[in-house]
Amino acid sequence: MRTERGLNSSSLKWLMARKRRRPCLPPLGSYSPLPPTGMRSWNHHYMQEALKSPKCQVMESALEGTGKEGKKESLKKRKMAGSPGEGLLQPVKLSRAELYKEPTNEELSRLRETESLFHSSLLRLQVEELLKEVRLSEKKKERIDAFLREVNQRIMRVPSTPETELTNQAWLPDGVQVPIHQVPYTVKGRFHFLPPAQVTVVGSYLLGTCIRPDINVDVALTIPREILQDKDGLNQRYFRKRALYLAHVAHHLAKDPLFGSVRFSYTNGCHLKPSLLLRPHGKDERLVTVRLHPCPPPDFFRPCRLLPSKSNVRSAWYQGQSPSGDGSPEPPTPHYNTWLLQDTALESHVQLLSAVLGSASGLKDGVALLKVWLRQRELDKGLGGFSGFLVSMVVAFLVSTRKIHTTMSGYQVLRSTLQFLASTDLTVNGISLCFSSDPSLPALADFHQAFPVVFLDSSGRLNLCADITTSTYHQVQHEARLSMALLDSKADDGFQLLLMTPKPMIRAFDHIVHLRPLSRLQAACHRLKLWPELQDLGGDYVSAALGPLTTLLEQGLGSRVQLLAHSRPPVSEWDISQEPPKHRDPGVLTLGLLLRPEGLTSVLELGPEADQPEAADFRQFWGSRSELRRFQDGAIREAVVWEAASMAQKRLIPHQVVTHLLALHADIPDTCVHYTGGLLDALIQGLKETSSTGEEALAAAVRCYDDLSRLLWGLDGLPLTVSAVQGAHPVLRYTEVFPPTPVRPAHSFYEQLRERASLLPRPDKPCPAYVEPMTVVCHLEGSGQWPQDAEAIRRVRAAFQLRLAELLTQQHGLPCRATATHTDVLKDGFVFRIRVAYQREPQILKETRSPAGMISLRDTPASLRLERDTRQLPLLTSALHGLQQQHPAFSGVARLAKRWVRAQLLGGELTDESLDLVAAALFLHPEPFSPPSSPQVGFLRFLFLISTFDWKNNPLIVNLNNELTVEEQVEIRSVFLATRAKLPVMVIVTPQDRKSSVWTQDGPSPQILHQLVILAAEALPVLEKQLMDPRGPGDIRTVFRPPLDMYDVLIRLAPRHIPRHRQAVDSPAASFCRGLLSEPGPSSLMPVLGYDPPQLYLAQLREAFGHLALFFYDQHGGEVIGVLWKPTSFQPQPFKVSNTKGRIVVSQGGEPVMVPNVEAILEDFAILGEGLVQAVEARSERWTV
Amino acid sequence: APEAIPIKFSEKQQSSHYLYVREHKVREGTKSPWPPKRTLFVLNVPPYCTEECLLRLLSPCGPVQSVELQEKPELAESPKEPPSKFFHPKPVPGFQVAYVLFQKPGSVSAALALKGPLLVSTESHPVRSGVLKWIRDYTDSVPDPEALRVEVDAFMETYDRKIAEEEAKAKEEEGVPDEEDWVKVTRRGRRPVLPRTEAASLRVLERERRKRARKELLNFYAWQHRETKMEHIAQLRKKFEEDKQRIELMRAQRKFRPY
Repeated sequence: MRTERGLNSSSLKWLMARKRRRPCLPPLGSYSPLPPTGMRSWNHHYMQEALKSPKCQVMESALEGTGKEGKKESLKKRKMAGSPGEGLLQPVKLSRAELYKEPTNEELSRLRETESLFHSSLLRLQVEELLKEVRLSEKKKERIDAFLREVNQRIMRVPSTPETELTNQAWLPDGVQVPIHQVPYTVKGRFHFLPPAQVTVVGSYLLGTCIRPDINVDVALTIPREILQDKDGLNQRYFRKRALYLAHVAHHLAKDPLFGSVRFSYTNGCHLKPSLLLRPHGKDERLVTVRLHPCPPPDFFRPCRLLPSKSNVRSAWYQGQSPSGDGSPEPPTPHYNTWLLQDTALESHVQLLSAVLGSASGLKDGVALLKVWLRQRELDKGLGGFSGFLVSMVVAFLVSTRKIHTTMSGYQVLRSTLQFLASTDLTVNGISLCFSSDPSLPALADFHQAFPVVFLDSSGRLNLCADITTSTYHQVQHEARLSMALLDSKADDGFQLLLMTPKPMIRAFDHIVHLRPLSRLQAACHRLKLWPELQDLGGDYVSAALGPLTTLLEQGLGSRVQLLAHSRPPVSEWDISQEPPKHRDPGVLTLGLLLRPEGLTSVLELGPEADQPEAADFRQFWGSRSELRRFQDGAIREAVVWEAASMAQKRLIPHQVVTHLLALHADIPDTCVHYTGGLLDALIQGLKETSSTGEEALAAAVRCYDDLSRLLWGLDGLPLTVSAVQGAHPVLRYTEVFPPTPVRPAHSFYEQLRERASLLPRPDKPCPAYVEPMTVVCHLEGSGQWPQDAEAIRRVRAAFQLRLAELLTQQHGLPCRATATHTDVLKDGFVFRIRVAYQREPQILKETRSPAGMISLRDTPASLRLERDTRQLPLLTSALHGLQQQHPAFSGVARLAKRWVRAQLLGGELTDESLDLVAAALFLHPEPFSPPSSPQVGFLRFLFLISTFDWKNNPLIVNLNNELTVEEQVEIRSVFLATRAKLPVMVIVTPQDRKSSVWTQDGPSPQILHQLVILAAEALPVLEKQLMDPRGPGDIRTVFRPPLDMYDVLIRLAPRHIPRHRQAVDSPAASFCRGLLSEPGPSSLMPVLGYDPPQLYLAQLREAFGHLALFFYDQHGGEVIGVLWKPTSFQPQPFKVSNTKGRIVVSQGGEPVMVPNVEAILEDFAILGEGLVQAVEARSERWTV
Repeated sequence: APEAIPIKFSEKQQSSHYLYVREHKVREGTKSPWPPKRTLFVLNVPPYCTEECLLRLLSPCGPVQSVELQEKPELAESPKEPPSKFFHPKPVPGFQVAYVLFQKPGSVSAALALKGPLLVSTESHPVRSGVLKWIRDYTDSVPDPEALRVEVDAFMETYDRKIAEEEAKAKEEEGVPDEEDWVKVTRRGRRPVLPRTEAASLRVLERERRKRARKELLNFYAWQHRETKMEHIAQLRKKFEEDKQRIELMRAQRKFRPY
């Protein structure tokens, strides 16, 4: 019956799918075939495996059928892993004796330490684990030390060279290039090579604070004094010598077989200062990177020459002109001076740090944690990054100012440092590690003039933050603030969010701007008159332009953004035989915008009054966009007005601002600005609405609903008055993917049922437009008159429905249609479905009478359904409606997310509400991010959440209206663990639904969730890559198209009978007329409601064949239904009355057994969907006996 | 084993489903709404085959008194009121079972001997499926408010009468001792008593517990102090164990690698 592979019941690890490789091998012998290549077939395989076992608990069955040996082996394995139940947390059971035994002193002190130093034992354990992971092991350290000794010997053996002019570089052998751009080339001076006077290890390796994965050991080579001349500090002569020195060393080391690779790189991205990277040969290649930094002998430079106000690059030399002699002062070169100073201070810094960190293990832990923190936020890399060294210095500063004590734990150091970063502003009040009161030292103010961020080292002359831009610093501050808020909230998984969650730019920022090509920035520098800066930075136009450009944009974007960050040019590595990379080589500069939702609503940039002196500045800043306007209060002001009608367009005003300002002030044309912000909007735009993403249409429907509820409240003549009207439909919480538009039916397109004022679909026409009534729950005032019998209550409710229809028609002229359970009302083209609710009805459905006459309440399916529809759904709807008012991007995010899930054909398996709640979680619990302000970033985080959340061991707590306290959440988690086995696979907890997770009760099944996780994990990197591609995203719909090759049968549908055909991901060029008018006509006839042939067809299929197969369909215009056979139901079964459905008796080994009658079923697919079904494609032969 | 009769939707189909039929039997002592001798029990009736269809297909074996399609075989007797089409709409059909009651006992064996294949939809009796069926279903679902009103009124009238009778009877029995001299106490009496519900009794118990808790002295005796402290340590230990388990799990999932 089944294929070979099918017969193995391999262990099902449905949630470990994130790892592409097989999570854990089942016992030997139970699994023979190799994993198929390619993701798609891999999925399929997984899903098939998954489907074989109906529940996740059957993992045990993996052990059956294999030899005893296998069993033992895996048991042992499990014991070793120590996790009972295969990755499933279990409530802890400790015996009384164990719990209440006398504590030892050691235990007591550990408990006390945990309480005082960490805020929970979990955090402590987590921190310890993390440190274990990033720390270098002793074994490796030994290997590295041995390597370093070798390196030292080799360097000392590099031969000397005869003295030559600096510009005569013919002595350099072929195969090595000078690792620096020598512009201008002419420098007077002489150079010859001598082995270094000293080779010293500096940096984090010595301190024991270096962290994996990239272990770097910094080695300083002291250039012998004989090589250097007086005034080497002037006009880059020191840097040229330094580069030549390295080139010679590189040439000799490259020949040595000890090294696997010998390459150049720029120290911290500074292109005047190359360093040489050495990696061991063979299997140790990834073990360590040794970085060689040449440095001058001690006291070689005179510190007073290197103050930030001094100039060490002469314009005459730099610009290649003879001195003009007009007496204009040389521009200061603060950055150039800093780079010189950095080389002189390598050793003193390491001494300072080792003195401070010394033997205090808590401080070292803290520095390691801070480095991980920076790394996850991509803050530490590139030119002007907030490096690990810098953060160590901050810790040293805090120790010296007694903000951190040496007995503190790593966690406390992390916390105090973040607190410090969050609460101080180094752009205004710099700090200094120098406590001497030497009057010859420059004042902090001098540094503030030359640099945006100031943090002086212990010499009082070197600004450690010299290369950091204001934006980068603000980004660090912002991150520190977010992290502090997270730590203060005492969230259970704070550790995970703080230190283990990566924050790549595309997922952290609402909008992304790519500037490309970088060579445009050269022109920008000239336009911005940045010549002194270029001279200072040795011609690095990217760094020179970065600060002024971000300042310009920040000013222009004003209240629309919270934070503007830029990518830092990455530090490249290159082969020693290659030219050093050029400034434009990174190719692209990326800006990240964190929007401020409240600032986005305005289309106006209000300037000063026309007669004020500032008006000229305003005009200059905005150029032609600034115009004089008269305002209602009579004032005449300068103002800029952007064109944006809808919310989607308003969200994209920053795009207009950025392109306008860059073109105006920096000569960067809009062809060089690639804005990634609204690319996904197309997927939630209606057919004719290309300028809006539907928020306006949803708001219109909600307004109509508000009107209706007012009518209901004021209704005259109902026996009981209406006490509350509550929405219960996705439209009324702004999460319907395609918002409804007012219906204007063309009567000729329909059959008309005059006596019931209704339109009917016609067999000879295409399927009419799909109109879904919006459900509204109507509560009546309390009364003792209701009958207390379930059947009678339904009759009375029906009477109310009838009366409601009558009154609405009589008093307000609205066309209505009443049934036993609801009343449909047509108002302004929208159709509402009013359901009258009686508060006590669920309770009456629950009542059961015990034999002793005691009445008790027991949940029944009917009572649960009724409670869900009339109580929980309205509550959820109003809570999410509220959320939308707080976070205008919620609608877009929730709809994109839902759209994607449905496009993957999984929409039928996950309820609408559960997806809305997951989307809400992104806003209510955004940590470590801030709440999304654009659909794009929200959708990316949705994919990230879905693919990484551990659904097995955690409930997703969605704290609507912040009603759950921290204690309650802890309680919820422990109840969750205790009752895990009884709960659905996906558990979503809200304040209104703390235990049962109503919206995921009926699905998804473990298999479907597993599939969803895999799909999300696949889609996320693809989409992120597309969005981060500065050349444009390509086809943005790629991740929305479902994989179809995993299905056994495909049922193709005729577009004629798919009413929502045009909503498809790839919208068809042409579709059918759906019987709608573009102009409102006089219609009092009820349009065709909820008539969607594919859905009716699916309901029939699921009812008839649900026990044999799963059916997948995209309700938004899908043209295909995917069918997956359930392998379990294909196992031959003995003849029983209960399992004859759709089966046939065959003889197997002389025994009559039942198997699915597949040939007949395939024909049934066509019969049941006659007219709708175009073709039934059976794609696999797996069912054949 | 039961007999198998092939059944197809129409001539066009290649392969057929099989109706599994046998005489309806009941175990000793159980009651069944269908008389055993004259009833044919049919399994695996395809979703497009309606009651009328089955009636037509089986009438060659003898006059049929009634056909009833059900989702599952019905074991016990159930009240046979015709369900209201407003309040109990027919569910979407899947594969069903049928009880076919013939007028004569001989027809059952004739039916068992049927060879088939039976055709559900023929030219003379076409059965609608797909789009045509859905349009008809939609048309049928458009309600007639007047009929609904009539049905509701009729039901409520019966209901009210029933309630009135019950009340009258209860009033009559009020305070009258039964043969063992027990008097039934109801809520309607002069001194109403608590209703006999679970919630009410839980409330009483809770009130009692609270009353007792209020009187208790906490941390009064030295041993109480000791115990509170011990309790605290036990809590911490329990938490510690839980956390260790969590860590173990995370380690297994390689959750501690920040890269």
